[in-house]
Amino acid sequence: MRLKQILFFAIIFCATHGLTQESKLLSEWSYNTANLMPAGKWESGLIQPFRYGINEKIEVRSDILIMPFIPNAGVLIAQGTKNDISFASEHSLSIPTPFLNFFSMEGTGGLISSEYDFSFILSVYNAFLASKPITKNTLVTAKIGYAFSVRSEKPDPNSTIDLPVFYPRMAHYYEGTSIRPGVALKIKLGDKWFYEEGVQAFIITRPENNFFLENTGTLMWTVGGSWRIRGGYILAYGKYPYKTPKWQLWPTFDVVFGSR
Amino acid sequence: MKNISFIIIFRFSVFLILLCGLYSCELPVTSFEDVEDAVYYYKYQPVAPQPGSTIKVTTWNIRFGIGRGEWFGDACGTKAIYTEAEVLPNLQLIVDRINQVKPDILLLQELDINSKRSGYVDQLKWIMDRTYFGYAVYGLQWQAQFIPSDGLGRLHEANAILSRWPLASATRIQLALRGDQDKLTRYFYERPCMVQAKVEIPGVTDFYAVNIHASAFATDDTKYKHFAAFKEELDNIANSGGWFVAGGDLNTLPPGSDSIDFCYEDICLGESFHQPGDDPQHKEGSNYAPEEEWLKPLYDKYKCAVPLNDYQQNQPAYFTHTTEPELTFNRTLDYLFTNSNWNPKSTVTHQDFFYESDHAPVSSEVVLIRK
Repeated sequence: MRLKQILFFAIIFCATHGLTQESKLLSEWSYNTANLMPAGKWESGLIQPFRYGINEKIEVRSDILIMPFIPNAGVLIAQGTKNDISFASEHSLSIPTPFLNFFSMEGTGGLISSEYDFSFILSVYNAFLASKPITKNTLVTAKIGYAFSVRSEKPDPNSTIDLPVFYPRMAHYYEGTSIRPGVALKIKLGDKWFYEEGVQAFIITRPENNFFLENTGTLMWTVGGSWRIRGGYILAYGKYPYKTPKWQLWPTFDVVFGSR
Repeated sequence: MKNISFIIIFRFSVFLILLCGLYSCELPVTSFEDVEDAVYYYKYQPVAPQPGSTIKVTTWNIRFGIGRGEWFGDACGTKAIYTEAEVLPNLQLIVDRINQVKPDILLLQELDINSKRSGYVDQLKWIMDRTYFGYAVYGLQWQAQFIPSDGLGRLHEANAILSRWPLASATRIQLALRGDQDKLTRYFYERPCMVQAKVEIPGVTDFYAVNIHASAFATDDTKYKHFAAFKEELDNIANSGGWFVAGGDLNTLPPGSDSIDFCYEDICLGESFHQPGDDPQHKEGSNYAPEEEWLKPLYDKYKCAVPLNDYQQNQPAYFTHTTEPELTFNRTLDYLFTNSNWNPKSTVTHQDFFYESDHAPVSSEVVLIRK
């Protein structure tokens, strides 16, 4: 795409802003905020986890598609509201061992060399979220989380999947704790269009390859009913085992659906 | 108004960041132009030595620094990943041999630069830092961000020319891709190349070094295309009045070789060849029968450091490769050619370099043509 075309769309995009209508922001896109699914309602995506509102205080969630490879489950617990700020805590467990052992294989599909085996690993993640509306159509969320592993033995450090997105999320399987601060801004652009811009850091408590940053931008279109299509990018920066390059740009895509 | 300005500024910042990201995007696999600039390495700016009437040239496939390791890809092994701690001692052996032989120009093949399989060591820089060479150029033969097979991950493999004298006009020349692979495999597989550079030796007329690593496992005529392209490049230099020393790992046998089928020597446990119903009948890269005459045009026109007559009279003395980690070399795959002359009796096939690689280096002294 030529530079002029990029700049043209940039100007158009920057010139638009949320319409002055009653905000449906949270009803369409509450994932990655401190706001829970309403009681008895659910939604899921190909990438986004399945979410179900138990009641006003608890939401359960799980990545259903990857369950055969990475058994996982989590909860989002409402922690109250003060000065228009909603608070919540997120807690999840996952077991990546089946995934790691499955893809440690010879031939095509071998993301990890077959010379490595993985013992039991339990990944534990906790986070605290705070969301505040800035305008009727804009919501900012701040998040601080940490992840650590309980395991019988450390995996071989050469068995890592050295790719952006994967590597920082798997780092704590090998060594250290992963501290994850982040902030995200959600904007309602129109009746059917929404946008989220976010930044998240991964700080691993170990001496090497210990800092990663991801900037994500996601555009969402509400197709109709509960169906939503999301597309965007992840711009990743990090200290990987290979020295360079440090920057990577990846596309993202998701389809979300649920109850109404 | 304040909130609108904030949103506009925020979104514009997003696009600026995206623009930066677009220019840094790394594709899963890098493909190459037919001809493009090679990459230069400079260690320092030494005083270029004045050569004598001849200079020594060596070609060596160093097998990405794993020595005689039982790698899964070419030695019936199960190991795919070598750590830095495993690779560095082998690289030190290689460096010791280079400092022992002291070539003036060194052609290296299978040099890894920042690959997961060899501990992410920049092997060219490592060798340059520990030898006397001041100049080098390389062309990547394999550049993949991530190979989703056998845990290979990130892989950057190069052919390099190291020199005591400055190198100029260095180019990477793409060779034909294998035609016997499916598209997906070919996308992630290596892209064979030649690297060519002008060696700026004081007082010497146009002198070039050309390094090639032909396909090892192609079962169609891909290798023939590589040899044709190699010869064409050498013809271009010769026809323009230049002189060259050229060589590398051609992955085929000299004409008139006694043994041309190594399927049983290279067979791995569980494999079967040459039997009715076997598919394939021959192991990839082990049957040279269709290739017997493929190097003849090169031998006919240019001077090989090991003349064909010498080779045919005593073939084992010139063997340079084996797939067996514990055995000595059993075939000749590595060559040096020139359109000048070789210093008689100066050629050495270093078969005593047993542990450094599955290839033995070949050295010879080429006569320089003065201006």
